[in-house]
Amino acid sequence: MDFYKHLNDNAEYLFSDAVDHVMVVAISIGIALVLGCALGVLAHRSPRVRPMILAVTSTMLTIPSLALFAIFIPLLGLGTPPAVTALVLYALLPIVRNTVVGLGTVDQNVLRAARGMGMGPWRRFARIELPLAWPVVLTGVRVSTQVVVGIAAIAALVNGPGLGNEIFRGLRSLGSPFALNFVLGGTLAIVVVALLFDTVFILLRRLTTARGIR
Amino acid sequence: MVATTSPVPQKIDLEVKSNARWLVMPIFLTVVGIALWAWVSAQELDSIEQRTLNAGELTARVIEHLQLAAVSTLIVIALAVPLGILATRRAARFVAPVVLMLGNLGQAIPSLGLITLVVLAAGVGFKSVIFGLVAYSALPILRNTMIGLQQVDQTLVKSARGMGMSPMQTLLRIELPLAVPVVLAGIRTALILNIGTATLATFFGVQALGYVIFQGIQLDRTPVLIVGAVLASGLALLVDYLAGVVEHVLTPRGL
Repeated sequence: MDFYKHLNDNAEYLFSDAVDHVMVVAISIGIALVLGCALGVLAHRSPRVRPMILAVTSTMLTIPSLALFAIFIPLLGLGTPPAVTALVLYALLPIVRNTVVGLGTVDQNVLRAARGMGMGPWRRFARIELPLAWPVVLTGVRVSTQVVVGIAAIAALVNGPGLGNEIFRGLRSLGSPFALNFVLGGTLAIVVVALLFDTVFILLRRLTTARGIR
Repeated sequence: MVATTSPVPQKIDLEVKSNARWLVMPIFLTVVGIALWAWVSAQELDSIEQRTLNAGELTARVIEHLQLAAVSTLIVIALAVPLGILATRRAARFVAPVVLMLGNLGQAIPSLGLITLVVLAAGVGFKSVIFGLVAYSALPILRNTMIGLQQVDQTLVKSARGMGMSPMQTLLRIELPLAVPVVLAGIRTALILNIGTATLATFFGVQALGYVIFQGIQLDRTPVLIVGAVLASGLALLVDYLAGVVEHVLTPRGL
């Protein structure tokens, strides 16, 4: 088994690239979650800016990934910074859209009841609106993560970290007998990372959904 | 605290409704185009930059890019729409959930990995890149065709059959027209995937706009990199805009 031998010989590199990949995705998704939720709340509160926010974030998904990674190089240099910036922009749309939809489906009567109980606007948001909208928001985050795990492979082309480097190593030695092993190893590892993230989200959903709406 | 009693919103508006929305993208792209042209004209280009940044070269790259996207999207439509129709026919009903599940799994495969694997199997060149693009963008069309056909109200299908329409007539006159918006959305997604992924073709022997971007990165020439990235982005946005117009025009009026 040639491929098996390759995995054994390169386990160390493959593992450290996988850890980098997970880190880049996690950091990007973390930033996108904060930014996306803020934009989502803004879009929810103001019906006039809502279509604009959604139009701009969906435009981001149209831009070719290599172009978006490259455009930040003159500003941020090579490596992790342009990669994370581009990945955050790609991750925004599903999070913003689901935040808007999640907040929009919160029953207004529940909010009125909360106001009647004497809750202020901030507590109403933190204790009522957000927990009720959370499962929908989390689904958006999950979709974003799946998108970003795949696109992060392209970060290697701008000297970024992650499993894209394994694929790129194979790509540079196109024609040599080792090329297939590198590409296959990197690609399969990315699929594994995607499945791992999905499992984490299933657990997170269980753990963070308010008991009343589980 | 002033009590505002807002009614429960029945439907959340996610899109701009006014007709002015059709003007935003052309104006934006024109402005970006002029700005890019003005910026590049103001630069003193050295010989390396001039080799890539001249009208002839850039037009050739744009045409290569459009060829890749157009050919792969046409092939994908010709393959995936009939397959989607077949998979939702009564005789093959059991296939649909399997295809959808495999489709969800397939989304996790990165475009760069898939294309490289296809090229490793088929060799470097235009045809192999097309194979790779087709493999990567088949899913959205296949899935949307199936979902579009499945969500057609089955009572409509039954009444069409009751009126004496054959299964073929029902498909062509009832089911497909009703599924058109969803199928078109899938085709648009596939087209944008293909335009985006075509930037990677430069690693597999077809230059396209990815070549300009990667030359900019490798030779450390910011003007080349910016022109490549902005042209690739602008092209994707323009094609997406045109696809949106076509989608709007082709959607049956009753929907």
